[in-house]
Amino acid sequence: MYTIISPRLGTPGDEFIPQEGVNIDALLDGGLISTDSVKKSSKVKSEPKEQ
Amino acid sequence: MAISSTYLSNPTISINNVDLTDQCTSAVLNYVAEQLENTTFSNTSRSFTSGLFSNTVTVTLYQSYAATETEASIFSLVGDNCAIVLKPSSAVISATNPQYTLTGAYLSAHTPINASLGELSTIDLTFSGGVLAKIVTPPA
Repeated sequence: MYTIISPRLGTPGDEFIPQEGVNIDALLDGGLISTDSVKKSSKVKSEPKEQ
Repeated sequence: MAISSTYLSNPTISINNVDLTDQCTSAVLNYVAEQLENTTFSNTSRSFTSGLFSNTVTVTLYQSYAATETEASIFSLVGDNCAIVLKPSSAVISATNPQYTLTGAYLSAHTPINASLGELSTIDLTFSGGVLAKIVTPPA
């Protein structure tokens, strides 16, 4: 899900529903929209502490 | 004398879904079908048929580095495709105010800094290729 940040795309805070041909990466890079997707945590486990 | 003519007073433009109407001072949409010659010995005049479409949109925008303004909207489009939507006026889409959408237009170059002393900075962009669609009724 994407959220509108820039009023040039709609009402800030509303969900952004991309239309055909829209370059999502450019909108994210430009800070015009944000993504609410949660990044996956790193699968690399930290080294266990020695006792 | 022209029966009906148009001067653009308040056209609208969005580039990659971003409404940049208030930064735009010029827009030219070229709808071009490449001509392929198919003249033969049986012809007495040159003959052509349609080849690939080769559309372009050229725009002039005021440059702005403020958040979510021109630079933020354009910089990441270089080397990539996007959709551009143009209308002769901000009025509702109709037969006399058609909306043109160029989908898959490619931006090859941008001039992030293009300024002269004492003048407002502007940028000229040319988007090439893509499929052009024209609608005369608002989408459902």
